[in-house]
Amino acid sequence: MLVPEFVPEIFCSLYLPAIYTGFIVGFIGLIGIAINKNDIHVLILTDIVGLAMLIIVGAVGTDLAEALILPGLVVELAEIMAISEILISREMRKKGKNTSLLPMPLVFDMEIMTTAPNFLSLILIGYGIFLTGFTGGAVAGGGILLYILSRKARGLPILVINGLGAISGIAWCLWIVGFLLFFVNPDFWLLSLFLSACGLLLKVASKMGLIGTLMREEFKRE
Amino acid sequence: MDIGSLGGNLLGIIPLGDIVLYLTPLHIFMFIVILLFTFLIAISRTETQVEASFGSLKDNKIAVGLSEFKARRFLAIVCGIATAGAMITGDLFNFILFVALTGIVNIGIVSAVKQIDVLNAAFQYGLIAMISSLPLFGGGAIILAATGTLSFFELAKIVPSPMTLFGSILLLIGVAGETGVAPFFATKAEMFRTPGSPFILIIHLSSLFIIIRAIEILLTILT
Repeated sequence: MLVPEFVPEIFCSLYLPAIYTGFIVGFIGLIGIAINKNDIHVLILTDIVGLAMLIIVGAVGTDLAEALILPGLVVELAEIMAISEILISREMRKKGKNTSLLPMPLVFDMEIMTTAPNFLSLILIGYGIFLTGFTGGAVAGGGILLYILSRKARGLPILVINGLGAISGIAWCLWIVGFLLFFVNPDFWLLSLFLSACGLLLKVASKMGLIGTLMREEFKRE
Repeated sequence: MDIGSLGGNLLGIIPLGDIVLYLTPLHIFMFIVILLFTFLIAISRTETQVEASFGSLKDNKIAVGLSEFKARRFLAIVCGIATAGAMITGDLFNFILFVALTGIVNIGIVSAVKQIDVLNAAFQYGLIAMISSLPLFGGGAIILAATGTLSFFELAKIVPSPMTLFGSILLLIGVAGETGVAPFFATKAEMFRTPGSPFILIIHLSSLFIIIRAIEILLTILT
């Protein structure tokens, strides 16, 4: 038996049902692709087959399988973006228009963008700070992103953009110091854990906020 | 099977922690050949297709623009390096990732073309590549679940079980779909009807090399 002793029996018995679930989901997706003739629907159904792949890999449940899931997910995302790009480019060419890299007109004309962003981003940033670490950074960064994208004012001063970048850099230093302390002096593990967690939070959040700033500068330029 | 009897004499191993690279004459030969081809493709210029038009004496030249040329050359070089990595790797995990990278880059090389037929074929090829990531990664995961390791050095010692055989068959289907060989070849042949010959050729070359390596890997695992 390959599985170590301390793994409970129920976890081992879950492997086969998970594999079968994965193959059934993949099979359903393939049937959908075989029946459907609309290109965009075929593309979306292909993503279901990709999800089945994630189920089958995730069923193994070791750290090596986890290392396989992440590139699998990235490959799926990259391929679906590339194929949808091909689809858009083909349709544009059929109509005789010139395509650029981003052919979609990015107009965010949703009501939620004007009424709710303050409240929602406040909740997201608060929850992100409560979580700390990478996840918290992503959540808080999402809050900042929402706020920046939905605000009507444009033309953020260059000082603010540079300042966000500087915060990101200093947070990165905090993170590295935390890790270094963890190896040099393991007695201060709590301090180093919080240093690196808060550093990572600030870094990821400011990075995503930076993306939002750049995107808005890019797309709201008339 | 013993690793030495498949690729020639075992010249040595490079242990990098979990990842153990091993060198045999076959792998070194394929690695060097694909790097040479990548270099040749990197320094060469694209061809210009000339289409004869019916009913007149005029020719219609289809040339590749500079920005498209640069993007495609970059993708072709990435494709060559990924194939070279798949040749030399000693780990099923890395092999799967290199094959997946080759699949994405192959889509990218044809995606900038300005002909509707070619884009149509590239769309179909992309769908096949995306679907076949299920058997590719799933096969790797099932081999991992059956044997507990993904290093060829360890896998060569383990006696294969039916589950390993199942995982290997899935892996072969995945590699075939991702590189667009035999049963999935139809759409790929359509994609070759575009200008920009040397960059298109790396698609073909990478799939040939990868299928040879995949067969060698399956023999290592299964016998």
